[in-house]
Amino acid sequence: MKRRVALKSVETRHYKERAELFRHLRNLDRRTFVKVSMAAAAAVAAKGLAHPFSFMPIDVAYGATQGAQGFRIAYISDSHLYDRTLNDRFVRQLYRAVDDVNGLDPQPDFVLYGGDLAQLGQPTELDLGAQILKSIKAPVHMMVGEHDWYLDLGEKWRQLFGEPVYSFDHKGVHFVVLNSVIEADFWTARGMTPMQRMQTVAGLDNGIQSRFSVGDEQRAWLQKDLAKVPKSTPLIVFSHSPLYKYYRNWNFWTEDADQVQAILKPFNRVTVVHGHTHQLLTNRIGNIHFHGMLSTAWPWPYAPEGLPPLTVQMNRPDPFDPNDGTGDGEVDVHPDGLVDKIYNLWNRNPVEVSATYLTSGGKQDRPHPPNLASY
Amino acid sequence: MTRLTACAAITALAVALIVAALAGRHRAAAGENIEVKLCDNQTTTSVPADQPATRENGEKIAKALMDQWKRSNPDSKAWVEEERAKHTIVNPADNSPLIGRGQGAVYGQITTQDVATWREETLKLVVDGSSVFHSADRLGGTIAVSCDMCHPDAANTHPETYPKFQPQLGRVALLRDMINWCIEHPVRGQQLAPDDERMRALEAYITAQRKGTQLNYGKR
Amino acid sequence: MRGGRPTRMVRQFAAAAALSIALAAPVGAQNGALHGAMPMDQQLARIDQLLPQRDPKDPPRGVDPVIFALFIPPDNQMTPARVALGKKLYFDPRLSADGTVACATCHDVSRGFTNQRPVSEGIRDQLGRRNAPTTMNTFVLQTLFLDGRAPSLEEQAKLPILNPVEMGQPDGQAVTKAIANDPDYQQRFQEAYGRLPNYDDIGRAIACFERTLVFLNSPFDRFLAGERDAISPQAQQGFVLFNGKARCVSCHQLNPSNPLGSDNHFHNIGVAARHQDFEALATKALGLLRQNDGLKAIDKLALGTDMSELGRFMVTKNRSDIGGFRTSQLRNIGITAPYMHDGSMQTLWDVMDHYNKGGEANPYLDGGIEPLALSEDEIDAVVALMFSFTDDRFGDQNQMSFDKQHATAQTQRPFRDNALAMRQTLPFEQRVTEPAQPRKLEQPQ
Repeated sequence: MKRRVALKSVETRHYKERAELFRHLRNLDRRTFVKVSMAAAAAVAAKGLAHPFSFMPIDVAYGATQGAQGFRIAYISDSHLYDRTLNDRFVRQLYRAVDDVNGLDPQPDFVLYGGDLAQLGQPTELDLGAQILKSIKAPVHMMVGEHDWYLDLGEKWRQLFGEPVYSFDHKGVHFVVLNSVIEADFWTARGMTPMQRMQTVAGLDNGIQSRFSVGDEQRAWLQKDLAKVPKSTPLIVFSHSPLYKYYRNWNFWTEDADQVQAILKPFNRVTVVHGHTHQLLTNRIGNIHFHGMLSTAWPWPYAPEGLPPLTVQMNRPDPFDPNDGTGDGEVDVHPDGLVDKIYNLWNRNPVEVSATYLTSGGKQDRPHPPNLASY
Repeated sequence: MTRLTACAAITALAVALIVAALAGRHRAAAGENIEVKLCDNQTTTSVPADQPATRENGEKIAKALMDQWKRSNPDSKAWVEEERAKHTIVNPADNSPLIGRGQGAVYGQITTQDVATWREETLKLVVDGSSVFHSADRLGGTIAVSCDMCHPDAANTHPETYPKFQPQLGRVALLRDMINWCIEHPVRGQQLAPDDERMRALEAYITAQRKGTQLNYGKR
Repeated sequence: MRGGRPTRMVRQFAAAAALSIALAAPVGAQNGALHGAMPMDQQLARIDQLLPQRDPKDPPRGVDPVIFALFIPPDNQMTPARVALGKKLYFDPRLSADGTVACATCHDVSRGFTNQRPVSEGIRDQLGRRNAPTTMNTFVLQTLFLDGRAPSLEEQAKLPILNPVEMGQPDGQAVTKAIANDPDYQQRFQEAYGRLPNYDDIGRAIACFERTLVFLNSPFDRFLAGERDAISPQAQQGFVLFNGKARCVSCHQLNPSNPLGSDNHFHNIGVAARHQDFEALATKALGLLRQNDGLKAIDKLALGTDMSELGRFMVTKNRSDIGGFRTSQLRNIGITAPYMHDGSMQTLWDVMDHYNKGGEANPYLDGGIEPLALSEDEIDAVVALMFSFTDDRFGDQNQMSFDKQHATAQTQRPFRDNALAMRQTLPFEQRVTEPAQPRKLEQPQ
């Protein structure tokens, strides 16, 4: 059983302590009152729970931060849809993720779609995906992946979902959505057709494609966009590729990662949430936290080298279970802008990677280690 | 001409031609493109006119032309190189220390050509395996799923752990049994006969990618 | 022995009458079909015919001795005295609070060692919530009960005796008291365990007896051994499907070391999801789990509500186990209808329909459950295979059961959904696109 920093009303979380506290409060003078409430707060703090002052009576709690609120968002990513008549399994799994997200209570503030909605960028695949995502009750923000992009270089995507690169503010946090799968042109010189280009990019281990990058243009845009944002504002960046260098051969890689990180570095609290890797992935570079998203379609093995040391691997997926190692999840954003990442693995216990695990450099709140490691 | 000779000839020719052609021109206005054509008069590529005429650029252009030519000439047996350009293939063991060894009627004397033959033939099966591995069509799948979608570069196939008892198969599994299970279920195709050329190629490729790993049969 | 509290004069009178009859008759010779079971004396005669005479220390024929030995605890090695004692206890209704229920009431020798009812009936005719698994071939099960809460046969035997709706005894001492004064039992316990009757030894002895209930001599076994026409061509085709397209073998594992057809794991295949409050209960339980004293709160909640449908979750409190029940063994499945943990499926065709359409979509559905796109012929073939798993000693019963199920299946197939099976509609799609519709129907018990 995990301790969770759930965003609920205080009563449900600390019922017993509160009941204890209020029992004493009935017949107390002021001095004794303060003593009792401090003792109760200390008891809660001793248990290692995150918010020791959460149930303090109003007149003592006036000093607590009233600024930013915490909130929760959900994500669904990497569905890799084919036409329904060709492959029903991936479609079914996306429906399952939508069902999960619709069943969340309370509903998330919004849902991020993490990229790779289509498998081969076909207009029919993107239409199918768009249609399924319409059933999500909460508002949806879309992010593009390479499988969506390289058939027509974003033409259909723009028609359906608008510009792939944008930013917005929500409850005191500045969100940026990037198109981090820009590849240097490898297809023109080879005379490839759009479909050949798409199929080349679709192969994770296909060495002909170029490495992902954010690119000069987008970096310039990012710089300009962030110039208006105070350094104390929490930043959450959504990107399809991990904005760092993990494993070059599989494009678990962003070529200009260092430059992008340099732009993000001045901010106090930065979290990057990325797709593409289809696995549980955690990293921290300087003050930037990185979290991977699960795929709904299939899991990927951990790369032979380059695994970030903070990552506690997910259990090796069981090939006999087509849904193992896949799923969706949530991102709990704290009032201070740091996040807990929740991996909702289907048929497994969910895994939570908390902000304190990253800020403590892996010393506190370590997620459970796998008992079946990758080969 | 054999494939190797054809490649070499075209590359050398192309580089020479390009360097000569570009060196001989005065600077064209920026924005203009030069069309570079192979001597078959069909394969062309477009090069910006103000690109510097270095050997490196020349080689890039030649390579692009070569790619095109190979694609439009599928019988050229360039498939091995094409596959290797796309996917990393581990090389077989190096047998060159054996050259000059052996004696008598049985082994004879091992020559460079022998070593080359062994290497080429072994590689061909492994490379064919790679192409089957990455092709939903060749696998006979009906849902457009290929092996590399879950096993990039044959990761997580762990052939060194077979034979092992697999309860979900009801028996002790060899690598080919697991391959067949994957073809039937995640790939939704028909199981391959054990001596099907595709099965042999797949086994070859998967085993090749784990060269150097210790055998550890029965490991779960 | 009567432990209940009569509430009315009439019941008191009837109770007194029953008491005198019970005391007058010798143990094991109660007349009448109590709770639908065959009378105990008849069952005892039957079991003697069914089980071959052999040294219980030897592993049963065809069973790997290493595997057999693995399941026997060191303090309960098999001896003839222990087996005989266990047999007597298994058929003894005195172990129950009102003297009407023995193990053999719900695990009846004449009804497939189960009771062929959706859920079991215990003392005072109370109905439980789960289908009684068969006691045949339990010797290689890694856990007992459908939610695996008993780690061994010894532990399992003791629990229904204390369950208020099954045998209703208040505690182990009451059970021991019920038989401790019987000189026959005193002698047998002494022979078997060298001590006076006690509750733990009751469990041990019953376990020893159950380990002799081996029924693995079926046409299917002869087919595996090489007799090509032991099962019909249709059943052989079914075996190919079992291992292939129908994917049964993924969970119903059959091999020489584990011949039962169960992987001993717990899977949510969507049967529990048919109960109306399943998801609400699951959500509530998960919510409780996030709180500090969540574990205790869940146990408390379980007593008041029907959290039994959450299955394995109630034992492990793991989210991944919600609605999960242990894979049933397939041996003798032809004669252990009705099927599933709640006995909601009458025929094996119903079972096939359930799997064919991908179970019942719910957030906790096991990932291995998918629409199978099996045709009618393929379903018939797999069902034919399943009927070939029945031991030869129950051949007649098996045939009758087949005929009955076949007749029922011709007219009613309540779980069938072709659109889902053939993957034209997708599970979860309906939940997402038509959330307002009532999703589940309560299945009639």
